[in-house]
Amino acid sequence: MAEVLRALRLYVMLQRASARGAMQYRMNTVIGILSGAIWQGTGFAFIWVVMHTFPSLAGWGLAEIAFLYGLRLTAHALAMIPLMSVNDIHWVVRNGEFDRFLLRPLNPLVQLMGNRMGIAQFGDLIVGVTLLAVAGRNAAVQWNVWLIAFCFIAIVGGALIEAAFFLALCSLSLRMVDTFALRVFVDDIFSKFGSYPMKIFGGAVEWLLTFVVPVAFVAYVPSSVVLGKLDGPWALVAPLLGVVLIVLAYLIWRRQLDHYQSVGH
Amino acid sequence: MTRIGFRLALAYRSNIIMTCVALVAQVFLLRMIWTSVYGSRPAAAGLTLDALLAYLTLANLQAFVTHTIVSRIIHDRIRTGMVFFDLARPVGYLRQMAGFQAGNTLGGLLLLAPVIPVVLLVGSITVPVNGAGYVITLVLGYVIAVQLALLISLIGFWTMEIGAVSLLYRLVSQFFAGTMVPLAFFPGFLGVVAEILPFKYMGYVPAAVYVGHISDISGPVVVELAWIAGLWGLLVLTWSRAHRRVVIQGG
Repeated sequence: MAEVLRALRLYVMLQRASARGAMQYRMNTVIGILSGAIWQGTGFAFIWVVMHTFPSLAGWGLAEIAFLYGLRLTAHALAMIPLMSVNDIHWVVRNGEFDRFLLRPLNPLVQLMGNRMGIAQFGDLIVGVTLLAVAGRNAAVQWNVWLIAFCFIAIVGGALIEAAFFLALCSLSLRMVDTFALRVFVDDIFSKFGSYPMKIFGGAVEWLLTFVVPVAFVAYVPSSVVLGKLDGPWALVAPLLGVVLIVLAYLIWRRQLDHYQSVGH
Repeated sequence: MTRIGFRLALAYRSNIIMTCVALVAQVFLLRMIWTSVYGSRPAAAGLTLDALLAYLTLANLQAFVTHTIVSRIIHDRIRTGMVFFDLARPVGYLRQMAGFQAGNTLGGLLLLAPVIPVVLLVGSITVPVNGAGYVITLVLGYVIAVQLALLISLIGFWTMEIGAVSLLYRLVSQFFAGTMVPLAFFPGFLGVVAEILPFKYMGYVPAAVYVGHISDISGPVVVELAWIAGLWGLLVLTWSRAHRRVVIQGG
């Protein structure tokens, strides 16, 4: 426990330093956040335009889709803000920089995460939270403390699912398997297909998105529960799956780490 | 220069292959969404579902083709000072860059060719209602796309930094090109803006001509030619000012 707390404290210090670094290029940071927000904004504008003509998408109204979209986006931002710098792992390994991480008395993954924060993902966060807030008021939901608490847990659960896939794929880079293209693809699947009711895909694809790459559990299942489209017991599946997957992903990371061989510099 | 652009496209094969995979996923997603919202309606905004799906498939293929990387290249070369070498060549700068983009597009097309059947299968296609009109409006639309990209790149001669501007440009132009929603569905004010902006010639207009949603192409062609002429003048004017401002970074 003390070990974890110490890692956490050091992580916060590393991130503070990286935030100070980012603020040196203030304009760049602001533009990064803005472009993230606009990117997601045009994504949602598409849904808005379509639903202007067609009020229902597989039985979901505009406010309900907006809620689903917002939940997915917030979970995505929460997963990627701390993990963004792990995306560079291939370069870190190839430059031999990773050897330095191994020499320092702090979990190498924490060091890697501490390199820099995801900047554009703060834009995702802004759009996601805004959508959630606006849609949450407009959708026919009886809000109470438990439901709000559930939303928080569901967002964290969704973030863990996405983070688990990302981390597991990244860790393969420790053995010089470049998974960058695969990561872009998986991210694409999560972001493209995760924001819509799974029903519209039908058959095989719906099954794939539920059981193979569990995109459905990031936002679709939790929002269905909140919006009263799915029974209560399903509520716990998504966060539980998130915890299980992230533990698995960390075990994979540890296993790949055991097999790490320096490029030798 | 054209050959360099062509080779660059082939050199970054894996990049383009990923884009192709994303393209297939995108077309599939759009097909599912639109099929779902249409439900049992036979037509909306004058488009049947079949025509709409063909439209979307084409518009997304076009978005891939009219995607321009020339502004990124110009940006990189300004930032590293390499632009010096481009300016030292005895061929006009804009012509070099346009040639580069054309070559790059050809390379991209070559790589796209094997994917087209997959995209058509995942999406949907109909027999062209006006094939010749499609090609004409698309080629003119492509010229507009390259001109606009060059114009955006020239901003870099003043600001040195155009990363954000070009990203913004890409997002806005894609949206108003009608790649995901035909312009016929844009409501009110948004529809007016989309009609005025030139981005529709990269996506909406050619694809709508193909599926027969636009039957008379003389109007669009005249406006496209007017845009090309206007942008041409603007480019020449901007360039004559920009090249006097050239700052070579590094040395």
